[in-house]
Amino acid sequence: MSRETTLSKAVNEAIAEEMRRDPTVFLLGEDVAEAGTPFKVLSGLVEEFGTGRVIDTPISEPGFVGIAVGAAMTGTRPIVDLMFGDFLYLVMDQLCNQAAKSYYMSGGKLNVPMVLRTNMGATRRSAAQHSQSLQALVAHIPGLKVAMPSSAYEAKGLMKTAIRDDNPVVIFEDKLMYQDKAPVPEEEYLIPFGEAAIKREGGDITLIGTSSMVQVALKAAEALSAEGISAEVIDPRTLVPLDEETLVRSVKKTSRAIVIDEGHRNYGVTGEIAARLNERAFYHLDAPVLRFGAMDVPVPFSPALEDLTVPTPEAVAQAARTLCRGELIHAA
Amino acid sequence: MPHEVIMPALGMAQDTGHIVAWRKAPGDKVAEGDILFEVETDKATMEVEAQGAGFLTSVTAEAGADVPVGEVIARIADSPDDTAPPPTANGAAGTAPDTAQDTGQNTGPGAAEPPAVGADALPEGAAVIMPTLGMSQDSGLLVAWHKAPGDAVGADDVLFEVETDKSVAEVAAGHDGYVAALLAEAGEDVPTGRTIAIISAEAPERTVTRRAADAPEAAAAPKDDAPAVATAAPQPPDRPIAKTEPVDETGASGARPLASPKLRRLALQEGLDLSLLARAGHPQPFHARDLDRLRALSRADAAPAAAPAAASARRLTAEAEAQGFAAFARWASEVAGVGDEAALLAGLAAAGHDDLRCVAVTRFGRTRRYAVPQTRALSGVTEAADDAVPDLTIRDLRGARLAAVEMGPEATPVLTLAGHGATLAVTLECAAGAFEADTALALLTDFAGRLDDPLRHLL
Repeated sequence: MSRETTLSKAVNEAIAEEMRRDPTVFLLGEDVAEAGTPFKVLSGLVEEFGTGRVIDTPISEPGFVGIAVGAAMTGTRPIVDLMFGDFLYLVMDQLCNQAAKSYYMSGGKLNVPMVLRTNMGATRRSAAQHSQSLQALVAHIPGLKVAMPSSAYEAKGLMKTAIRDDNPVVIFEDKLMYQDKAPVPEEEYLIPFGEAAIKREGGDITLIGTSSMVQVALKAAEALSAEGISAEVIDPRTLVPLDEETLVRSVKKTSRAIVIDEGHRNYGVTGEIAARLNERAFYHLDAPVLRFGAMDVPVPFSPALEDLTVPTPEAVAQAARTLCRGELIHAA
Repeated sequence: MPHEVIMPALGMAQDTGHIVAWRKAPGDKVAEGDILFEVETDKATMEVEAQGAGFLTSVTAEAGADVPVGEVIARIADSPDDTAPPPTANGAAGTAPDTAQDTGQNTGPGAAEPPAVGADALPEGAAVIMPTLGMSQDSGLLVAWHKAPGDAVGADDVLFEVETDKSVAEVAAGHDGYVAALLAEAGEDVPTGRTIAIISAEAPERTVTRRAADAPEAAAAPKDDAPAVATAAPQPPDRPIAKTEPVDETGASGARPLASPKLRRLALQEGLDLSLLARAGHPQPFHARDLDRLRALSRADAAPAAAPAAASARRLTAEAEAQGFAAFARWASEVAGVGDEAALLAGLAAAGHDDLRCVAVTRFGRTRRYAVPQTRALSGVTEAADDAVPDLTIRDLRGARLAAVEMGPEATPVLTLAGHGATLAVTLECAAGAFEADTALALLTDFAGRLDDPLRHLL
């Protein structure tokens, strides 16, 4: 049985279920208790679990992420809430130097079963310092797992897996998708890391999207199908670990691919995935793998400008047409 | 030892400093390192330390004053009463504080003694110092003067070039006037802060030119940073062509046709020549969808062709590390009790290819035939009767002085092992009808991979 639930509620359920299941799971961060976060994702948790397990912190990201890393080392499973993904810059040392490396540097004696949940996504008119999509930044660091739920279903299943994982996991939720509904099973389920989901099957081109870009890819695929182009849409679900097999298998079938991620295009997630496809499916490619990402500018505050910086279904569909027609993509 | 206190150059483009406050009063006793005064520049306020012990005297600039960089604003004297005549307001600069100790006797033009009468006496004017261009730079190589003594200069005119660790920079005169003195020569390495020129307001009656130091002349020639660029366009390197590639990629125009990797692979597998599409005027780039057209062109092209035999042959070459199989053979002989290397080769080549039931191995001029089981077990490879018909022949030429072979197709497909160094060349030759292109590729790459690392076979 399943019902329609918002992404926000799905995350809330995942955390509540895991906190009931395991007394070592606790939450901390800014405005996680009474306020339930600015997006109301965590509403109701402090009422059920009390201020001892749902802990409001001062505005002190390096401090409370450091606390979470230490707490994780000593036997608890903290879920640390970073109000905006943009604040990752503040916690780089705690996350990338401490959490990511402790297991390795202690010879396996200190693991850090911590979840850092944060968000990404532009077009919320939040300006350049609250609109970034920084998943590439942490996916670059060995020792961190990175999950990018694309719907309420993924958000719940990936969060539960993340909480049970014995290593640090960073989960990026798209802050524009909190009210988006999707069918979510009534019964308990987990989504294993490293398993991509084929969201739509097709034979002419593979559209690989992360987080909300899965919706962009699905809309593009819908538009293309009216023109007789059959697009396959794949959601990797976790960037680290990455399900290369599913991606490669699809591209061997379709011979074409477009990768879409809302992080900046330069040196980003899309480039990594495109490179892996190139390495493993080169002789099956009938066209260059294209990348779509946020324009390489600070996210503008002006709504009219901001909307121009993110990938759109129309742009993806247009690129897909060009590839499928066999037109020259770049100067020879 | 008495010395002068000058306004230091704290920034790259700074020409004056604003004295915020004096921390010592005239007559105060100061120790080396004591804060003398605070100076404000565009970017920051900094404290300036005394470079030696003594008494602060002859203070000529008060708090609030803007003082040109390099100008003497006080003295550190041996006694509070030693008030030597202060330098003139725009007088010749003294030694920069951070170089005062190590500049020896030749401390620049601003020596505090009363102007000496003689050749060494310096004209009056604004001092130009060796600038600090890098964070940790303590000297600069004077590359060249752009003005000669007596020349008129504008403040923005380039006066000299200086080379630091990182770059060569042109430095402007900073003052309007005339070059009255050049106190360093091109090629000299001059401590930063040292006065190296004097710009006088009026045309000088006489000019002074001398070296900054008595040290042996430094290599005067500045480095030639721009070696002549080779004029001949570099020859394009020979494009390495995969040994298995039968495709002639020379298009009609002589350029490599633009084709997708997938089409290239398919053309390679079918032995089709992509340049046929180019010669037929088919628009580039070519994609997998063009395969049918390419096949048709290929058939039309082949019909009148006179050499069907050559077109119907396959020859593929792969490389493997010699050491991998050698070590495995030793191990198999000593530990697993399989001492026949030929049997091992037969087993490794035929594994996974169920059509290959009998493999002949030719080594040192002797041919033996082996029956290969479908189980992949190397110990299950048994010698077959001499009249058994082999599905594949392995010609083991390891150790011979052959680098590669091209023998043409024979009745059975032939795998040749050649090479006497660290690398084995493995060549498969057969008639096109003997193996499908896919099968031939798989057979060769599997075999080469197993020779590289035979343990993979066991897994």
